[in-house]
Amino acid sequence: MTRLQIRLTRLALLALVMAAWEILPRSGVVNPLLLPPLSLVLQTLVDLLGRPAVHEAVAVTAAEVIVAFIIAVPLGAAAGIAIAENDYVGEIFKPVLFYVFSIPKSIFLPMFILMLGIGFQQKVAYAAFTTAFVVLMSATAAVESVRQDHIMVARSYGATQMQILLRVYVPSMMPVLLETLRISMIFNFTGVMIAEMYASRTGIGHLISNWGENFQMPQLFAGVIVLAAVAIAFNEAVRALEARCSTWRT
Amino acid sequence: MRWPAPSTVRWAMLVVLLALWEFVPTTGVIPELFLPALSKTLYVLWVDKHIYFAALLVTLYEVALSMLIACGLGILVGAVVGGLAVLRNLLLPIFSSLYAVPIVILYPIFTAWFGIGSQSKIAFAGIYGFFPVMLSTAAGIRTIDPQFVLAARSMGATLPQLITRVIIPASVPTVFAGLRLGGALTIIGVVVAEMLTASAGIGYLVTLNRTILDSPRVFAGILAILVLSIAYYMLARALESRMVVWQSAGKQTRAASRDAQVAVAAPAAA
Amino acid sequence: MQHVANLSDVRGRVGEAAIEVDRVSHVYAGPEGGVPALQDISMSVGVGRFVVIVGPSGCGKTSLLMMMAGLRHQTEGRILCYGRPIPNPDPERVGVIFQEASLFPWLSTLDNIEFPLSLRGTPREERRRRSQAMLSLVGLDGFGARYPHELSGGMKQRVSIARGLVQDPPVLLMDEPFAALDEQTRMTMGHELLRIWSTTKKTVVFITHSLTEAVYLADEVLVMSARPGRIIDHIQVTLARPRTYEMMATDVFGRLRDRIWQQIRKAD
Repeated sequence: MTRLQIRLTRLALLALVMAAWEILPRSGVVNPLLLPPLSLVLQTLVDLLGRPAVHEAVAVTAAEVIVAFIIAVPLGAAAGIAIAENDYVGEIFKPVLFYVFSIPKSIFLPMFILMLGIGFQQKVAYAAFTTAFVVLMSATAAVESVRQDHIMVARSYGATQMQILLRVYVPSMMPVLLETLRISMIFNFTGVMIAEMYASRTGIGHLISNWGENFQMPQLFAGVIVLAAVAIAFNEAVRALEARCSTWRT
Repeated sequence: MRWPAPSTVRWAMLVVLLALWEFVPTTGVIPELFLPALSKTLYVLWVDKHIYFAALLVTLYEVALSMLIACGLGILVGAVVGGLAVLRNLLLPIFSSLYAVPIVILYPIFTAWFGIGSQSKIAFAGIYGFFPVMLSTAAGIRTIDPQFVLAARSMGATLPQLITRVIIPASVPTVFAGLRLGGALTIIGVVVAEMLTASAGIGYLVTLNRTILDSPRVFAGILAILVLSIAYYMLARALESRMVVWQSAGKQTRAASRDAQVAVAAPAAA
Repeated sequence: MQHVANLSDVRGRVGEAAIEVDRVSHVYAGPEGGVPALQDISMSVGVGRFVVIVGPSGCGKTSLLMMMAGLRHQTEGRILCYGRPIPNPDPERVGVIFQEASLFPWLSTLDNIEFPLSLRGTPREERRRRSQAMLSLVGLDGFGARYPHELSGGMKQRVSIARGLVQDPPVLLMDEPFAALDEQTRMTMGHELLRIWSTTKKTVVFITHSLTEAVYLADEVLVMSARPGRIIDHIQVTLARPRTYEMMATDVFGRLRDRIWQQIRKAD
């Protein structure tokens, strides 16, 4: 299939889904109270985007996402690099990492709440906590992805540690770093959402949870669509950037 | 001075951690509300063991059923989408874009549709596990060396024989990775869902006890879940190493397994 | 070694062609129209002969071999094996050995060798017997229970050869089977192959990039040009059999190699 055919097929699929979302509830095949027609959802969406309460919630969520990210990335990266660089430390911790990743970190959320209450700090702390692990693992993988032979070549030409860092590690890791940031952001966002939905009085997650509890389905779907759109948009933007930097990668 | 063996260090760290868990709260450095002593936690776990056991059963039931969806559908769809170039080029980018969306925001929809009982958890955790398993399987299918198919064809294998005698055996490591991943993810999905809105299950117990500020019982629940997920991981690993005695080495392996690793990053989510 | 009963009428008389390539051309579809891969190839491989094909990369020699194996279809011309065309792979007539051994990692060595037989539904007893015989033939007695990941590159290729021979096809096609091995192993394997060939009296069509290997192994060397591939020379290798390593140092050997090299250089 050519690229044009692929694009057209995908658009057709999208159109199909949208049509189904409109027709099935309207015709009564699916209960419109449970699945409001797409047109109604979109109307509600537009309406919501104008409300100050929603703006506030967006601001709160955005703030949490950004702050948690800023905290998590350096911490996770430092730990990840330490594990990758030092063989001994690596051998101690690497087997543990696998266990750690199987654990639902959301179970620690009550712990954060017990310690920090249900405000901004708790949500940021929890999100940072979960994101740091992802950053850690990706950072380890990124450092290890730098080929040993490239480092040896640089060293044999007398490059200093700093030069090796800047001229071999960084360019080599750049695509992986971007991918790391992209994936970490996905999980960061997830962490914030979970925290907001669990116990919070502010933020979009809380709004969505509320709408769900009160069976305000059009609002709920509108909220989900907006969040999904933002998440996908961010993801694709970073992916495009990654592609630019990765032309040399196999 | 010789450094101690890494495994010794790990065990030592664990012991230290447990010791800290016991003594730090007792001495009051951290209030008991934040972190009850380990002994207290174990004690209430023992006292309430019937309650925890019943809750565990509910949770396990939900995990089992959502695993059926996540792994069953995920592996099947992943194999088909990953194996057929047309579908792969068409659908895979869509699925990996969707992966960026925090699935947890869909949970209120499921509770609105299915109520607060097990069904909503199973639906949610099923979908939560489905995407990563599907992506991982699709990537893993491509690690199968195409030379195998060529060799089998040259030996006169028919299409059904190709599928049953070559492709399926060659897919076994991928399938096991998918099962391991799917199980870990469905446990996470079920626990998250139970914590958010539920009427039963370990997650529910944890939330309930948190709202009444019963810290020892909260941590007892946390401990139960920790044990559950670690036990699952160890079981999955043990099974995997029994079944997959051999390492597959193929040309495609490196690139495709990198993609598979990215998908495997998922468990760290929640 | 047991021959399958009806092979006697397949083998035919001495001097008849095991493989007949008649004016074969091949064009494969490219993004910008057809790409000619092979041009008017005609050749005849006599029964029991060891024929080597050499040529620059991309000249189409692998494609030609695939067509002889029934794995690919030429756009023009015909290929006959013992007088009959090969529309599909026919492991009872033609065994194929690839550059990569492609042993199935989930099967033991012996199971790998008997795989073609199990596809046919051959009974267990006979499968075991024949695969064991092949294992001995390639010099790997005792390794039957090992798995591919426990074998070296050379050993894996031996197993691959055993697998290709297990159905006792009269013709063996080999596409650079030793290319992935180090030079010393290559030389040993070449020697082994000649031993197996003289024992089993198969017809062999062998592709290689190595001129030394070509002269050492072959009765006849066919030199192909760059794409689109044509046959530009047909060299008879008059060295005595059995071949020895010492022959590689002789003048005759050097001259033959040189002739091949000159032809390839001209064609490029």
